[in-house]
Amino acid sequence: MSLIQTHSASLAPGAGRGAWQPWAAAALLVLLWWFAGEAQTWTGGRTLVFALSIGIALGVVLQRTRFCFYCHARDWLQRDDPRGILAIALALAIGVVGMTVVQSSWVADPRAGQLPPEMHIGPVSWVLVAAGLAFGAGMSVSGSCISAHWYRLAEGSAVSPFALIGTALGFAIGFHSWNPLYSLAVADAPVIWLPQHLGYGGALAVQLGGLGLWSAWIWHRHIQRQAASTRTAAAEQARDLRSLWQSLWTGRWNYALGGALVGLISVAAIVRMRPLGVTATLGSQVRGALQQHGWVPERLNGLDGFAGCATLPQESWATPNALVLVGLVGGSFIAALASRQFTPRLPMGKDALRGIAGGTLLGWGAMTGLGCTIGTLLSGGMAGALSAWVFGAAMLAALWLGFRFQAWQAARSAA
Amino acid sequence: MTTTVSAFALRALATRVGASVLLATLAGTALANTAASASPGPLVTAEWLAQNLNRADVRVIEVSVNPGLYERAHIPGAVNLSWHNDLNDKLRRDIVSKQDFEKLLSKAGVKDDTTVVLYGDTNNWFAAWGAWVFDIYGVKNVKLLDGGRKKWEAESRPLNNRAPEYAATTYRVGKVNLDLRARLTDALAVAEGKSQAKLIDIRSGDEYQGKIFAPAGVPELAIRAGHIPGAVNVPWGQAVQEDGTFKPKEELRKLYAGVGIDGSKPIITYCRIGERSSHTWFALSKILGYDVKNYDGSWTEYGNAVGVPINNPAGTVWAAK
Repeated sequence: MSLIQTHSASLAPGAGRGAWQPWAAAALLVLLWWFAGEAQTWTGGRTLVFALSIGIALGVVLQRTRFCFYCHARDWLQRDDPRGILAIALALAIGVVGMTVVQSSWVADPRAGQLPPEMHIGPVSWVLVAAGLAFGAGMSVSGSCISAHWYRLAEGSAVSPFALIGTALGFAIGFHSWNPLYSLAVADAPVIWLPQHLGYGGALAVQLGGLGLWSAWIWHRHIQRQAASTRTAAAEQARDLRSLWQSLWTGRWNYALGGALVGLISVAAIVRMRPLGVTATLGSQVRGALQQHGWVPERLNGLDGFAGCATLPQESWATPNALVLVGLVGGSFIAALASRQFTPRLPMGKDALRGIAGGTLLGWGAMTGLGCTIGTLLSGGMAGALSAWVFGAAMLAALWLGFRFQAWQAARSAA
Repeated sequence: MTTTVSAFALRALATRVGASVLLATLAGTALANTAASASPGPLVTAEWLAQNLNRADVRVIEVSVNPGLYERAHIPGAVNLSWHNDLNDKLRRDIVSKQDFEKLLSKAGVKDDTTVVLYGDTNNWFAAWGAWVFDIYGVKNVKLLDGGRKKWEAESRPLNNRAPEYAATTYRVGKVNLDLRARLTDALAVAEGKSQAKLIDIRSGDEYQGKIFAPAGVPELAIRAGHIPGAVNVPWGQAVQEDGTFKPKEELRKLYAGVGIDGSKPIITYCRIGERSSHTWFALSKILGYDVKNYDGSWTEYGNAVGVPINNPAGTVWAAK
């Protein structure tokens, strides 16, 4: 099986189009290199440069493998192509194993009652389910989750800028609804870390077993449906280095490679910095700005005591989380430009509406769920947090409903 | 018989060499021991610690305020104590109980003759607070790594992320020295002129003046702003140098003498919750040898207490604009 797949027609570069783009990618790389040199001299510079590097790697991987929760779910639920959703399961499985190695060193006895510091293990209540549902709905409406909107900026998406503005709006609404929700359900909600109840071995077995069974079911269902149609596998071709290099910047990389790399990057991050998350910076900027004007309650009960994508305004903008984001956007621009996939188009009213409406749902879900697909689902699930699996299940349920609705709409307009 | 002779000569040489090696080793050990015991005073340097890191009778303990720091990288072999979860009582506003403290030290493999070296982030604030708790429970050889994590990292000394496993001991606390701890009544006695003790407020000038209730980002406040009447203000940071190490003894003596604190009278240090003031407690009591109590109730207790006098130069009133 080739590591690189080149048959994504929609993203194949047009002949002669955007020849300047690879040069721009190289220039951007040089710029980021210079920026890393600057960041090295700031307070906590070593961690900042590490965060930037992790972000760049993540940006390149997300863009090149098109690791997008929405697209992967759509390919599976709507187009019966399970490769993407299996890649997400693979990322989680690799992360679960890696995090078990790290956490078993951090907390020798998981049953003693102490949670591993900073890991995204959140409270489990109906608020989390609502957050997952809203987030899934937001993905359906805007066409991506938050992390994918960040990397789609680099592809010139007409919706993503509006979706990110919408996300900020959603965060603001989230901050407003937080205190009553906290009193209603979150304050008393259990914070469940699976190794605390099952031991490291038990938690590993349950999570890997669950992911394995889920993947087997997906695959079995896919095979059953595909039984009728025949597919011929392309023969492996020996490639010279030049064409191998070119193939890196054509089409998209293999799904499984994407899953494996995302899993490895998430584990690598935790060794040196807080778990990956792509909403903390946006959330804390929104919160800081609104609190200054008194538009958000001064005291958000219990919020800063929970682990997750922390939104407490920071003294300096240059936090590791912000540098991950700078790297992610930079890295995805490098990848998109190197692949000549930067295809901007002018947004239309429909794009803006979709973006703002979907983004608002994404933002509200990410605020009340203490993170998004990266912070709550990936970072939390890998750490053994029950909250991650609940959020993920609710999100998937909303996506499934969304696709059903789309299918119904399509059928109605065809009739 | 050349062979025999040379064999004999070789044996003799080997004996001599062996003897010299043995002597050198013994001398080395003696020197090393001298170096080890030659850590008089309450502080150890990063260099001393690096040289003595592998000794079984030295136990390094990190007490940092930021969670996740120890877990990612710490001085090799260091044990982690969380000031939130380990060194504080969870059910009463108090330091860890004697029984729980004994359990902590037993688990860390500390014996009566162990030299405990504490260090931490943010200029050893919480490590100094740890030293105060250790002192209350009578641990004999407690030292601070001068400059803490910051200095160790700045000197590019090794760190790793492996949690050490030491054979557990059965550590027993002897006498509990509560003389090191001031209570609200002690602070009040000074404020009302009924005690000769000297109060030293180590918070920032703005907190002391009553312009602000607490540093930015700190949610635990007091209803009143200002300071305890009679307290002098020497922010904790004045006791340290640029690299985070304590100033030389003579400079410290002058610094505090400048505000009338010369050790002739008992001293009480306080801040907001008693942790930054432990840093000054350490300087005054351990480095200068004065008679010092730390008031860990500090401003979050005094500034909230009903019916006690305060001094509030700025005149800031809670919730009033």
